[in-house]
Amino acid sequence: MCELYTYILKISLKGVAMSKEELSRVDENLTLETDESRRDFLDKFTKGVFGGLIVGGVVSALAPVQAKANKHGSNLNFSTPFKPFTLPPEHPGEDATLRMMRDLQRALKKPIEQRHWNMVIDLRKCVGCDACSVSCVAENKLPPGVVYRPVIQQEIGTYPNVGHVTLPRPCMQCDEPPCVPVCPAEATWKRPDGIVIVDYDQCIGCRYCLNACPYDARTFDFGLEYIDGTADAPKVFLGKEKAGKYETDPSYEYAKEWKRQDDASPIGNARKCHFCIPRIEKGMLPECVVTCIGRATYFGDGSDSESLVAELIALPNAFRLKEEVGTHPSVYYIK
Amino acid sequence: MTREKMGNILVWILIIGFGVWGFPGIIDRFANGHINTSYGSYIPWGLWISAYIWLIGLSAGALMISVMTYVFNIKAVEKVGKMAFLVAIATLVGAMIAVGLDLGHPLRAFSLIFDPNLSSMMGWMAVLYTAYFITLCVELYFAIRKEQTVGLQQKNIKKILIVLGIWSIPLAFAFHGGVGGVFANVIAKPYWHGPMLPVVFLAGAFLSGGALFATVAYIWRPSQSKDEFLKMMIYLGKVTLALLIFDEILELSEVYVGTFYANQGEGHLWQQILFGQYWYVFWIVHLLIGVLVPLFLLTAKSKSPGAIALAGLLIAGSFLAVRLNIVIPGMLDPEIAGIAQAWVHSKLTFSYLPSIMEWQVLFFIVAVVMAVFMIGKKILPIYQTAGDES
Ligand code: SF4
Ligand code: SF4
Repeated sequence: MCELYTYILKISLKGVAMSKEELSRVDENLTLETDESRRDFLDKFTKGVFGGLIVGGVVSALAPVQAKANKHGSNLNFSTPFKPFTLPPEHPGEDATLRMMRDLQRALKKPIEQRHWNMVIDLRKCVGCDACSVSCVAENKLPPGVVYRPVIQQEIGTYPNVGHVTLPRPCMQCDEPPCVPVCPAEATWKRPDGIVIVDYDQCIGCRYCLNACPYDARTFDFGLEYIDGTADAPKVFLGKEKAGKYETDPSYEYAKEWKRQDDASPIGNARKCHFCIPRIEKGMLPECVVTCIGRATYFGDGSDSESLVAELIALPNAFRLKEEVGTHPSVYYIK
Repeated sequence: MTREKMGNILVWILIIGFGVWGFPGIIDRFANGHINTSYGSYIPWGLWISAYIWLIGLSAGALMISVMTYVFNIKAVEKVGKMAFLVAIATLVGAMIAVGLDLGHPLRAFSLIFDPNLSSMMGWMAVLYTAYFITLCVELYFAIRKEQTVGLQQKNIKKILIVLGIWSIPLAFAFHGGVGGVFANVIAKPYWHGPMLPVVFLAGAFLSGGALFATVAYIWRPSQSKDEFLKMMIYLGKVTLALLIFDEILELSEVYVGTFYANQGEGHLWQQILFGQYWYVFWIVHLLIGVLVPLFLLTAKSKSPGAIALAGLLIAGSFLAVRLNIVIPGMLDPEIAGIAQAWVHSKLTFSYLPSIMEWQVLFFIVAVVMAVFMIGKKILPIYQTAGDES
């Protein structure tokens, strides 16, 4: 009886023309969806009670989180024509990086909307060295207080029976990103290839998205510098200003030059991991992937069944963080 | 010296004092941006956002007094309707300055007025505040015109004021319930998320705004007979008392649900509020100064206008503590345990105590609010009544 009920529910939820695989996914998510819909209902109810704001709920429900042809005119959904470069011929036992680069080249030949970038992090291989966090800071010229990929270290158990878990946390590039609809300026959205981006030129720096992210994946650029508060002895040594020249080196996020000067963006903006868009558009893997000393981070096109990430995502021990909040992250972990 | 004169002198002293003390904070904000604030990326909102909801609440409450005057035609407050508009405008200006200074790129925010993202509750705020500001200005204009006209013209203006007043009721519910929604809709923050918060925001707004108005009306009362004045103050005292009781019932329910199973859900956050490092914000500033003393003053047999005004001032002033206890605890829990230790920086922590600079900016904003009120009171004929040419 109970099975029959579940089956009917499955059919009514998703329609009759569902594949076996889809049905099993519904099975897994059944409790989750009921929970979500309750929360969803309460959410809409709150909006509804307060007058005309129900329109906001409707707009919110209808508004696609995917790029709406970017009304602000900036072209951050770019996909520059990719010029493939030659990679060594495939051979057994080759480094996973080579396979991922081949996957990347294949993906870049497809139109942007047919790719879906995914990252897989093998927690069994991560040694918690922070190489990825540091290389990310170098790649994106991140100032103090801004971090895209911290590595969380957790001790579990009670002494002497303790274990150690390390968990790198990039932006999850959620398929249902709570950070997107909350933005009053439409300064953040999901690209057709799955990456959630911030348009620094539009962001007003309200930090609503920082609060809305269930992974604490966004940080605010306060305009700090590494040389702040350090000693200055220009006549004796090089001097603070000269030594800190790197502070003003531009970053090239979203394939644009961002100079750090006079409170200009990205100072005063929300910032987050973007899977190193300028690198991947050129056929290079994200910086954290290539610098990972344990080869624990994988990257590629999840919608290409031949790719390494698609293989890893299908593993039974692959999971996503905080599935219960309904964000559908693009980052998977293997335990 | 009359009470009004004394009030004027005292408020101008406060304006100058707060302004002088707060000015370096404003300079710091413009010179160094947000560097010297205590909030960071894990606690992204702090004193200024709390002050914004405090001030906007005061504004919504003052608006409700004007609705009583022009829509419900309540005799006791008929002469203070224009002053209520002025209080609402002054506090709205302060709220907008507070939120503006909190933004990373304040100038860009103006584009939201014409082009907001309506899927965002904050986008709605831009639209609603613009509508609210325009409504207030138009209402104040007609309220002044009403006193300068006679006969049919005055009748028509009265009608316009009723229509505008009726329109301001859903508007106030929308924009202040909406501020509650800015927080309540964030699923990632369980302490905020839920359908009750907008109601709590509204109740708090009407209470704090009504209470503030009792003080303002006491100091700068219009020309009334002693009897009229007494009636007005008793009426405002009764309204404040009723709202205080209602607000406390809501709070009691929140505390009860939040603490009954102290180790579940947001129980630990309530433990922090009640018995944590900043316990005095709840017990001393809010409960003692903002609830118990006013309750005593408002229920006293003597019904002295001075006591009612003092109760109003205590409630309205200490309401900032209530707002702080809504905003800050919501962000105290890391989304993923251990994240603050993963990348260590002063802007990546889960503790918050406003910096001196943040307080300076807040005091400066309060000085601006008082100055707008005082200047508005001086240049606008808000005391004028029909037939009075002065
Ligand atoms: S992890 Fe956070 S910032 Fe990244 S897409 Fe999801 S909600 Fe947005
Ligand atoms: S901080 Fe910027 S990106 Fe985030 S919600 Fe505000 S305007 Fe949008």
